[in-house]
Amino acid sequence: MHRSDSRTETPEATPGTIKLPAPTAWPIVFAFGITLLLAGLLTSPSVSILGAILAVTGCIGWFQDVLPHEMEETVEVKAEVFVITTPRREVERLPVAPELPRALLPLETYPVSAGIKGGLAGSVAMAVLACLYGVLKQRSIWYPINLLAATIYGQSLQLTPATLNAFHLGSFVVASFIHLLTSLLVGLLYGAMLPMFPRRPILLGGVIAPILWTGLLYSVLGLLNPLLNKVIDWRWFIASQFAFGIVAGLVVVRQQRVRIRQFVPFLMRAGFEGPGITKEKPEKDGSR
Amino acid sequence: MASDTIALGIADPDARPIGERLHDWVVTVDHKKLGILYILYSLFMLVIGGVEATIMRIQLIVPHNHFVSPQVFNRMFTMHGTTMIFFVAMPILFGFGTYLIPLMIGTRDMAFPRLNAFSFWMTAFGGLLLYFSFIGGNGLYGAGNAPDVGWFAYAPLTSRAFSPGHSTDFWTLALLVSGIGSIGTAVNFITTILCMRCPGMTLGKMPLLAWLNLVTGGLVILAVSPLTAAQIMLSIDRYLGGHFFDTQAGGAAVLWMHFFWIFGHPEVYVLIIPCFAFASEIIPVFSRKPIFGYPVMVGATVAIGFISMSVWAHHMFTVGMSSYGNAFFTATTMVIAVPTGIKIFNWIGTMWGGKIQFRAPMLFCIAFLFQFLIAGLTGIMLGASPFNWQLSNSYFVVAHFHYVIVGGILFTVFGAFYYWFPKMSGRMYNDALAKWHFWLFLIGFHLTFDFMHIPGMLGMPRRIYTYEPGRGWDIWNLIITIGVFFQIAGVLVFVGNLLWSLLKGEPAGNDPWDAWTLEWSTTSPPPDYNFAKIPVVESRRPLWDIKHPEDPDWKYE
Repeated sequence: MHRSDSRTETPEATPGTIKLPAPTAWPIVFAFGITLLLAGLLTSPSVSILGAILAVTGCIGWFQDVLPHEMEETVEVKAEVFVITTPRREVERLPVAPELPRALLPLETYPVSAGIKGGLAGSVAMAVLACLYGVLKQRSIWYPINLLAATIYGQSLQLTPATLNAFHLGSFVVASFIHLLTSLLVGLLYGAMLPMFPRRPILLGGVIAPILWTGLLYSVLGLLNPLLNKVIDWRWFIASQFAFGIVAGLVVVRQQRVRIRQFVPFLMRAGFEGPGITKEKPEKDGSR
Repeated sequence: MASDTIALGIADPDARPIGERLHDWVVTVDHKKLGILYILYSLFMLVIGGVEATIMRIQLIVPHNHFVSPQVFNRMFTMHGTTMIFFVAMPILFGFGTYLIPLMIGTRDMAFPRLNAFSFWMTAFGGLLLYFSFIGGNGLYGAGNAPDVGWFAYAPLTSRAFSPGHSTDFWTLALLVSGIGSIGTAVNFITTILCMRCPGMTLGKMPLLAWLNLVTGGLVILAVSPLTAAQIMLSIDRYLGGHFFDTQAGGAAVLWMHFFWIFGHPEVYVLIIPCFAFASEIIPVFSRKPIFGYPVMVGATVAIGFISMSVWAHHMFTVGMSSYGNAFFTATTMVIAVPTGIKIFNWIGTMWGGKIQFRAPMLFCIAFLFQFLIAGLTGIMLGASPFNWQLSNSYFVVAHFHYVIVGGILFTVFGAFYYWFPKMSGRMYNDALAKWHFWLFLIGFHLTFDFMHIPGMLGMPRRIYTYEPGRGWDIWNLIITIGVFFQIAGVLVFVGNLLWSLLKGEPAGNDPWDAWTLEWSTTSPPPDYNFAKIPVVESRRPLWDIKHPEDPDWKYE
């Protein structure tokens, strides 16, 4: 491949050649001019004057390079034929769905409603255990509720040990909101995750996840909320986590699984209908 | 008049006089030559920044050391930080982007080839201006004087009362000049990626490297502009009687912090996102699997881009913001960990069940995964304002951000070097030397930066010139400095390998990794025009489609 020495301003290229932007010194001249212009502020006015001259010259030269037509040079195309190939013709596949050449895993999953049901059921189990702890250990059903609200609600943080056992409407609303929202979200997470661990879903949802979550909280709660860290009873805490996980997991895995729609565009999976959402792709031979 | 191919200089078969060949490089507007110029320039500056770091570490190797004076030490940490961020990390990533983007999206050059050249030269002259301060930056004693205000140059230290002479002005103007170049490069990246993709390459079929550089381009424009504005304001303060940052005259020193960090934190993502791009190209090829969760990877990157604009004041927790400010910036810092975690999950998902080949690029990317995870975890710790109050401005912070910049960025850059070196030069590197480089650098990195967390937790402040013995810092500083020499040995092996391979390396062939993106469909090194015929693509892995016509990707995307 060779470049022609002459630079042209015409856009047409002859066969076997390609036009590319022509090399030019004006960008470096312009850049050097600006740099000297600024450097002169710290050294000598003469440096700035030289910089200004170079910058203006570079600017004019640059304009002449692109106006009225971009300056180009013709480059000959080197005739080179090479075949794009691979030494690895064999492709290993996971034996998951013999009827499908490729598959998105998992092949089946739970509907969203399974996660919601699981989350709600788990929330009841957890609440029962937490209230039991309140009654047995603190002589008040409101104690754990006030404590939960104190994670984000400033007024609950003001409660003294004596008033922690009393009913407070604000704390009750906040605690109920936190409990329901978190339970629903974790339930949905279980619905999404459990199909990916098909062998022992209850072990994951009911034992491993609560242990990991409790361990994480145990290690950081002292930093995030030292007050709460002082009063929390970790044995009851992990017991309520197990209760949530096992009940939510059991409810989720008892739901009917649905087969996922392989390689269907997101818009269709989201329920949109209309022309142009999917593009028909013609079958092609291997010589593309 | 020119070469057949754009190779790294020495491999160029052209036999014309050296002056004529150098002239070709100076006047070039070719994206490949400019990309290589960016990379070579950055490598040169890497050596300079490395020497400055070594001087600092020798000074701190034992208590009460006087290897250099306190004044020189101040200049070293200022120049080291400024050099490494603005004249090594940014240009080297721009260099890879400039070289690779047109090749990967199947076009012949950048959208604005002359702006591309202008941007490179502005960056290069910015660095030259910075280092000219050693000669021209008259300081307190009328002698040459490099900047010594730290790389984030807080007010009022930068006022004329505390920084007489011109050293700070050289710092200001150098960043101003290089900032113009950075914005030019970002404009070029965005325009090229949005407007010049080859037929069939919809946004959903674009290589992740292009997607991530698109986000980077947007971030550069958003982040560098406030820094440029702040540099102009600082110059007005210093020379035209302005009071933007002069608290005694009604200005606000904290304003400078906001301006700097609204540049400074997105800048971290400007640097790390292109490295995510390298990992996203290298890990699938050496795992022999397509990237796991391509749409989620794109979405996570865009999310990081947006969220990164809202985390800057976590650098300012100790300034004394309101509790609402602390809570907001703590929350956003925690939130940005989510898309970042998704990306780490997806890279591991890509490797999961793959036939992993432990070649040098992959080794560097695997190390990056672990190191960047730790960097992210210490980042979360520092993002919690109560924790930050204890360890801000300590060596713990220094260890954290070096884990990001060296453990995250530099490791992937080395991986990218080894991955695309055959394409750029036409020659294979020496694999044994590459592995020596990897292990030496890995050991050095962990000796230095793992142990650097400990004196930080024991209360050693950053930028300290020397220290008293017996505070429990001595042994850790000794180990940290020993680690630096392992890193130097690794880099020497790397440079030696590059030079040896350029001269004696085996011919690489067009597609030595059996890869799937378009740059591997042209010769190594590519011709001036990249592709004799503009390619047409139908999937994210066009070369897979050609290599496996019985089972192409386009059926499933």
